[in-house]
Amino acid sequence: MPFNAIPAEDFFNRENELHYLKGLSELKKSALGGDVFLEGARGMGKTELLKQLYRLLYWEDEVVPFYYSFKTANLKGAYFAKDYFSGFVRQYVAFKKKDSTIVQSAAEPFERLMPAISSLGLYWLIDCIEDFQTHVNKNDVYWQIVAAISAPVIAAKKSGKPVIVMLDDFDAAASLYESSLGDATGLISLFRESMQNSLCPHVMTGSAGALETVFTDHSLIGMTEQMRLGPLPEDAAGELFGAHLANLKITPPPAGEVKFLALLKGNPLYIRNLAKAAWKMRKKELHQKDLIECYGFEVSGGETAFYWSSVLNRYAKTPTGRRSMLKILMHWVDNGGLDDIKRLSILSGVSESETAVILTSLNLSGIVRERDAVLQDFIRCLYMKEIEGRDTVYAKEKIEAKYLSEKEESCFELVIPMSSNAELVVAKAVEQIGKNSNLDAEFLNYLQLALIEVCINAMEHSGSYEKKVFLKFITRPGTLEIVVENSGKPFSPETRKEIPVEEKLRMGIKRGWGFKLVYAIMDHVKVERVNDRTRVIMTKNIKDKEGVE
Amino acid sequence: MKPVQFSVASKLVGDAAVIYPKGYLNNLSGESLVNECGIYIRRGITKIVVNFSETDLINSIGISLLLQIMEDLRNIRGTICCTNMSKFLHDTFEMLGLLQHMIVFPVESDAIKYLKAGTR
Repeated sequence: MPFNAIPAEDFFNRENELHYLKGLSELKKSALGGDVFLEGARGMGKTELLKQLYRLLYWEDEVVPFYYSFKTANLKGAYFAKDYFSGFVRQYVAFKKKDSTIVQSAAEPFERLMPAISSLGLYWLIDCIEDFQTHVNKNDVYWQIVAAISAPVIAAKKSGKPVIVMLDDFDAAASLYESSLGDATGLISLFRESMQNSLCPHVMTGSAGALETVFTDHSLIGMTEQMRLGPLPEDAAGELFGAHLANLKITPPPAGEVKFLALLKGNPLYIRNLAKAAWKMRKKELHQKDLIECYGFEVSGGETAFYWSSVLNRYAKTPTGRRSMLKILMHWVDNGGLDDIKRLSILSGVSESETAVILTSLNLSGIVRERDAVLQDFIRCLYMKEIEGRDTVYAKEKIEAKYLSEKEESCFELVIPMSSNAELVVAKAVEQIGKNSNLDAEFLNYLQLALIEVCINAMEHSGSYEKKVFLKFITRPGTLEIVVENSGKPFSPETRKEIPVEEKLRMGIKRGWGFKLVYAIMDHVKVERVNDRTRVIMTKNIKDKEGVE
Repeated sequence: MKPVQFSVASKLVGDAAVIYPKGYLNNLSGESLVNECGIYIRRGITKIVVNFSETDLINSIGISLLLQIMEDLRNIRGTICCTNMSKFLHDTFEMLGLLQHMIVFPVESDAIKYLKAGTR
């Protein structure tokens, strides 16, 4: 619905874009501008910009705005045509009468609109409706679509008043079909004539990179300019968050505690959702810890999670496909690369050809173009829930712990090669980390031993092609957590068989002490498989005698 | 811990060989230790004292190689004594249940005295 835009005063830092789009019909008339493809990462406010433009034009009365969202559209030809045509007629009449309720009563048949249309003297619109109805009666889907798409052009020609056509998530129009999915490719090209009309500038949004795949006609690309909607600058982002909180009557965090907002990278959707999460969680005032809690809620099960989940569903149609896509995305979160189809195929458990299809979808969607920390946390949560079988609370707590601990803990990361004596570098590192935390020297020897054992286990048994061991040391008050990760063959401590020493000596089996030592030294040891990596998480509670908190 | 390059020194005290592993006892250094003991075993020495005073750190591979020496000596009815173990090393062997299969003395001289007394 184009009328549910946020208040103009809460729409930050897009004045230039709005000004440009508002003047688009003048520019197109004088051949100085054409159509605009509005590009930007998801959540950057493309849809909101269209809605703001709509509201502006609606009240200024110089140019007729028409907004259509493909996001929720039924893409079956006949349904789409009716929806698009009906949407245009209602929005046009609403614009003329300045009565937005006409748009909202979509279920009302056209006949009820006829008196209003007649009273406005829009007889050409009545002709349009009759023509459209004729195509419907003849069951001619193609001409229904043509008639629907042409309606704004006819309106502009007949009335002399330009119509700005706003097509949200336009790349979805590439999937328009007649009776079954994929039966009629290229229906999107029917927009060409409408787009070429000088009285009808089109503003389209879509995923980054979709333009080239949407337009097969290069002349359309030539006349379509791209406008990139970037993130809000830090101050504007803070201001927007503050405005949302003020609307929700929540006291904003003190100036020194808003650093966490930088994670949202000026994305208006994330900013709004975080403010709403605070309201849902009945926060009256916010501190850094509350922000993190709200954020955990958002990416694990809030509106941000719902948003991204819907986006994924658009590109992964079946539950199996979604799981495979999720495994691939998790790999992207952990490792970054999405080029090795063979390896990804092993990870996702689907054939290489299907993996290639998933990668094409992901590239088309633009999801993996930028490394968006919020999206990555959402993927982590979804992975925990859908692949590891955890519940939302667990995922939320994990995310919270990640950010809370980053604040309250000190964290060191280290990568060592799988080469001879590299584990000694780790031992040296843990020695210094321990000294920094005032840990007892003897206690450190045990930690060194445990770490050495996990590292040599990885080096000896993983067969990792990467030949690297990744370590993270996190010291918190009272706890030391060490995370060791490596790619390669899975390792499970359950396969570790406890053989008594006497038997070992008798049978000549001398190896297999490593994890016995690790379990004896550490308070908690967890071995898990994350994607193609084995992750060992070791925790040691630091008592007073071992270290000063 | 200050892991230093591993080296192994040894000397003969009476009919017992005293071995001094120094540094980080892992797979490579453990092999050196096995070889050093092997030299004495081949010369007919059946009493070995391993003085750990300069052993900084040990890993499970080093431990397994130490077991190899214990097994080699057992096969020839020999004796191995471990001495000068740090608390850390002592506790590590204890964690693995190895202490009961070793003869442990606080200092080297005690081990020598014990072996001279003619056990086995």
